[in-house]
Amino acid sequence: MRLDSNQERILAGEEGEARQFAMEIVTKVGDAVDAGSLVPIKSAHVLAHYSSLHDAGVEVLERFAEKGGKFKVPTTVDPASIDLQGWRSFGIPEDYARQQFRLCDAYTKLGGIQCWTCVQYQVCNFPKPGEAVAWAESSSVVFANSVIGCRSNKITSGMDVACAILGVTPMFGMLADENRVAKVAFRASFGKFSDLDFRSLGYLIGKKAGSRVPVLEGLPSNVTSDDLKHLGASAAAAGPITMIHYLGITPGSATFKDATEGEKVEQIDVIRGDLEDMEEDLNQTNDKPDLVALGVPHLSITELGYLAKLLEGRKMRKGIRMYAYTSSQAFELAQKTGILSDIQAAGARLSQSTDAEISPLKKLGFNTVLTNSAKLAEIVSSEGEVQVRYAPLRTIIDEVTS
Amino acid sequence: MIPGTTRGRGLVSGTAEGEVLVSLKAFTFAHGVDPATGVVTDIRSDIRGSNVRGKILCYPWGKGSTTASAWFLETVRRGNSPAALVTEGVDLSAVIGSVMARVVYNKNIPVLSGVPAARFSDLKRGGVLFVDGATGEVVIK
Repeated sequence: MRLDSNQERILAGEEGEARQFAMEIVTKVGDAVDAGSLVPIKSAHVLAHYSSLHDAGVEVLERFAEKGGKFKVPTTVDPASIDLQGWRSFGIPEDYARQQFRLCDAYTKLGGIQCWTCVQYQVCNFPKPGEAVAWAESSSVVFANSVIGCRSNKITSGMDVACAILGVTPMFGMLADENRVAKVAFRASFGKFSDLDFRSLGYLIGKKAGSRVPVLEGLPSNVTSDDLKHLGASAAAAGPITMIHYLGITPGSATFKDATEGEKVEQIDVIRGDLEDMEEDLNQTNDKPDLVALGVPHLSITELGYLAKLLEGRKMRKGIRMYAYTSSQAFELAQKTGILSDIQAAGARLSQSTDAEISPLKKLGFNTVLTNSAKLAEIVSSEGEVQVRYAPLRTIIDEVTS
Repeated sequence: MIPGTTRGRGLVSGTAEGEVLVSLKAFTFAHGVDPATGVVTDIRSDIRGSNVRGKILCYPWGKGSTTASAWFLETVRRGNSPAALVTEGVDLSAVIGSVMARVVYNKNIPVLSGVPAARFSDLKRGGVLFVDGATGEVVIK
């Protein structure tokens, strides 16, 4: 990989140990993927949750901070492994919280934006079409490439912080035009969409597309950005997908020909039975749940308002908890607008700045989780510690409330 | 096993020698290896129950979460990491984890890619490998 004289200086350690460490990571990756050069990025999104980073990740982030590292571009952060405000009330052990707070402190020292959300694009990180960014968090990368039209690879932990500190990323993968062309087409041919259908469809696309960029036709005209958030997250949980061309939505993909550049591609029709197969895949148990987990990825304030409405006049049944996961920003809005108290009145809880798939569910005593998140179902099933049932939101509410 | 030499591509330099451990399926450290023991826990892995500690770990390509680099690094911190990683496709979590291991824990774990899958099936029965992450050389002992 070609480095300019300034990048060579950084690699030689002339701008301090933190930037040298960052440059070593970025250049080794650049060489491994045959990137010609490093290109500037407009923002970064990094991971700093203890459940995956472990003590080693704490030591890496602290090292970056202690050696004088500072984020060069606006940098946002994925959820923590605990509710940073209410962790005690959720039963998180003290020693576990302490390690998460070490990550928080190091991240703050590096100059990061305190958002702790996986939907930074709905809260505090707003690139425009065509810009290069370096985001970790697979679901947000799909949203970036497919809905915003900016360009991001799925950035691996460790490299995320390195890119943020340097303000550059290797030129490869989804940053290059030729890798963004659709190579397989999906058509939704099953009629009306439920909340679950967006997720099951995404999951199916993730399973069947493999490493090919897909194009999707047949979305309803009233599809929301929240629907697309869940569709993309489910796809990314099921496979290596980093972009879906949503016809008429993705910038530059008004027509089928735009997405495929006129090349012939495999066409896959998705019918109701295909979605039912996905539901069966994701549904591992018929046991009574002890936790309903909503919001993987984080719910927006609009979705929280809808949830409050569904819960109106209802009460959670005994022995089942409901946690709806959201950003601190949406939590605050919910507080101000009365949505929070409506949700609490039904016996459910909002949890902010963390999310179910990265929180220690087993440690907290949960064995069976009921959710409408395909992403949560996929991740939890691969661990095998907690059983998951996968169902539409209305079914869930009917079952767990009276 | 037939002694011989094969050449892949060196991604992170350094040399290592050790017993080979081969997975023929996509591999991940994230929720796939217990850092406290080095034991493979992934329910979808063909080497579930094996221990990666001190091994020359070979697999065709990575999969899953972008946090695999951090899980890999935690095995290093706990002294349970493989001695080297040899893959067919480039696994960035291996490259990144190895760079972090050298800087933070002063531990050199060479990483190679481009070693053909066909070689893996030959090696599956065990044996000892010497690898050089600078030259990409893999010597079957």
